[in-house]
Amino acid sequence: MHGRKESQMRRKRPALAALVALAVAITVVATASGGAATKGPSGWVAKSSAMVGSGGGFGETYKAPSATLAKMFFHANLLPANKTARNITLASIGRSTKTVDYALALKCWKNNGCSTGTGGKLTVAYVEGFGENTFRQMSKMEFILEALTYPQIGKIIYRSAHSDLNQAIADFKSVIAQHVSAIVTYPDFGDAMIPVFKQATAAGIPVSTYAWGYVSGPGTNYTTVVGEDTCKLGQAFANVMNTKVKSGDIAFLGGFPGNPLSAGWQNCEQKALNPNIKVVANDPTNWDPSKVQGIVSGILAKTPKLAGLSYEDALFMSQGGYAAYKAANIPYEGVFTYRTDEAGMGCLADKLKDPKLQIYYYTAGNAQIRVALTADMMKLAGAKIPPEIVYPIQLQQQSKRSMCLPGYPATASGTSLIPLSLLHQMYP
Amino acid sequence: MAAATPPSPSRAPGTAGASGAALAASAAVAARFLPVWLATAVLAIVASIVAPDALGNTSWSYVLPYTTVLAITALGQMLVVMHAGIDLSTPGVVSFGGNLIAGVGAGRDHRLLLAIPLCLAMGLLVGLANGVLVGLLRLNPLIVTLAVGQIVFAWSSKYSRDHVTNQPDVPGALSSWAGEKPLGISVVFWTGAGLTLLVALVLRYTTAGRRFQAVGANPRAAWIAGLHVRRHVVLAYAAAGLLYAVAAVLLAGVRFSVDPQFGSAYLLSPIAAVVIAGASLAGGLASATSTWVAALALTFLTQMLVVMGLSTAMQYVVFGAAILAGMVVSGDRVATLLGRWLRTVKPPPQSAPTAGHAS
Repeated sequence: MHGRKESQMRRKRPALAALVALAVAITVVATASGGAATKGPSGWVAKSSAMVGSGGGFGETYKAPSATLAKMFFHANLLPANKTARNITLASIGRSTKTVDYALALKCWKNNGCSTGTGGKLTVAYVEGFGENTFRQMSKMEFILEALTYPQIGKIIYRSAHSDLNQAIADFKSVIAQHVSAIVTYPDFGDAMIPVFKQATAAGIPVSTYAWGYVSGPGTNYTTVVGEDTCKLGQAFANVMNTKVKSGDIAFLGGFPGNPLSAGWQNCEQKALNPNIKVVANDPTNWDPSKVQGIVSGILAKTPKLAGLSYEDALFMSQGGYAAYKAANIPYEGVFTYRTDEAGMGCLADKLKDPKLQIYYYTAGNAQIRVALTADMMKLAGAKIPPEIVYPIQLQQQSKRSMCLPGYPATASGTSLIPLSLLHQMYP
Repeated sequence: MAAATPPSPSRAPGTAGASGAALAASAAVAARFLPVWLATAVLAIVASIVAPDALGNTSWSYVLPYTTVLAITALGQMLVVMHAGIDLSTPGVVSFGGNLIAGVGAGRDHRLLLAIPLCLAMGLLVGLANGVLVGLLRLNPLIVTLAVGQIVFAWSSKYSRDHVTNQPDVPGALSSWAGEKPLGISVVFWTGAGLTLLVALVLRYTTAGRRFQAVGANPRAAWIAGLHVRRHVVLAYAAAGLLYAVAAVLLAGVRFSVDPQFGSAYLLSPIAAVVIAGASLAGGLASATSTWVAALALTFLTQMLVVMGLSTAMQYVVFGAAILAGMVVSGDRVATLLGRWLRTVKPPPQSAPTAGHAS
């Protein structure tokens, strides 16, 4: 009996060895090593650039390089009208010139948190509701780079709820229980987060949101919301549609149902459209390219001559959206307005070279998370923070200023302030 | 686990004797798989009235390729369900598979020769891991496949972040091929139809297929008859993993590009397709062609709701109601009720267990 088992095992060994070898082969072939890391500025900085702003306070200097501001906002003068909000922005973006350790930043980014090694007593947390796409991952790196410019920050925490509301609330409670010093978040679940925001505020922890992650009661329920006014974004989209489409059928796409970003611009665009423009569809995509393909295909089935489309995510329209047009044999033409500026969309438009494809875009706004962290830090230093830090909107035209930037990954936003060399280490 | 489970009444449908037994078995098989065909026909009629655009060429250009991808994942799930198992590793395998196609392919056509076999091998390996854990170690398939799927999905996310974000497009040769339309219909559809037919024929007309069905229909009887029950369970999971990987290749071609969440939509929809097609989650008979039709019905329904322009909330309500209706009239329930009725009307003079046929 024992001998029989042994012979069976002997027979199975080559098969087992083959399976192990196969697994090793898949791992070896499918992976490649990344590049070396160095030190450098915490944000994108031009070789020589004039400084904007003056003065300082609460441990900050209200000055930032003009070129860095222009990269983030398209023009250095597109700063908030409110003086304090403007100073917070200048202080935050001015920190781009400070030198940080890229190896540490990369380690922190890959490990979802780290000790900064400064011995600083403060702990800061970035609490994510979703966390999985390139936009959120780049925002995480922007947060880390900004945090590394503060010697008083000794620890960085990152949490991602993977689109699970209960997990998001649990993550928030967890960092509050850990007595973190400051929290930055993108509230994917909107007002459902108010109780934990209030809990953090009551515990003396400043909470700021970015990318206009609007939750009711900024300034009372939480510290501040950073970003463009999404209502004005919708009005800017409507202005493009009114002047370029003039009359015809257009569609809206959104993210997760009920998210504050989509609802903000959609309501205002709808109201600002001229009466000859009809919105034939308004569908959530969960910011999932597969879903975008299905929904765009459904819209095209009903409205093959779609004149225009507004959406947050330029990248997904270069992926799922473009695939839907191609599968339906319908030319990828029309007036498209996007909130984000991923290089992939720009490179596709440059490749298609179709004058009937008219794209207008804003910025993904990854670097806004830096401002949110600086607002928290200034609050800890005793500053009075305005409830909203709002940026003026100026849409860009793809044919005049392409989103396709040399060296940028297709999924990356060109208005991000992550230095290109570090971006290449993140996405080799 | 599957080997130790005694057959339930629904898993041995033909219980009448002599000539009546064959008739009753045929009726039970027809009752099991017919509802999904009828329901799909009704859906098409409803669409022609409330959303005729959903039946146009533009709509089919999306529905057929995506039906195929769902159908192939559902075929894999069907093989597992036939052995009273369940496989929740589908999203992980599809995601990792798609990311391997883009990552290893690196935008160069010739690298598909490496990327596609690697993707298939990965699917096979994950399936084998599931099979060994469920079939040999007798662990709970629900928990095991969920855990394995999570591990694969996490690895896929990491791989995507490290190797795909910079170049998310699949090699042009694959997307061009997926865009071809022989006889005016997507080549992805023809590929899926061929694969479905192959699975149906193998299950019905080959010795191995008949054994596979026999083990699923009644593991204890199969074991007494000298069949290797555990080996068949491992085989079912391995074949399922391979089919998920095939689906990943096709989806990558249809999508042109991949992302970390690439296969996340394929957790529950393949299971829904299998059940609506008439299979019982307790194991036993299943039909490859009916599973394909169920996948078509689900994909088409989603598209129809978008074309109708219903609000998001209403889309979810209608889709959920349709799934519930599908479950109520699912073939498994109909076959069970028919079997009970036949036994009441004409008690069997003798027992004549049969595995029946899958088409």
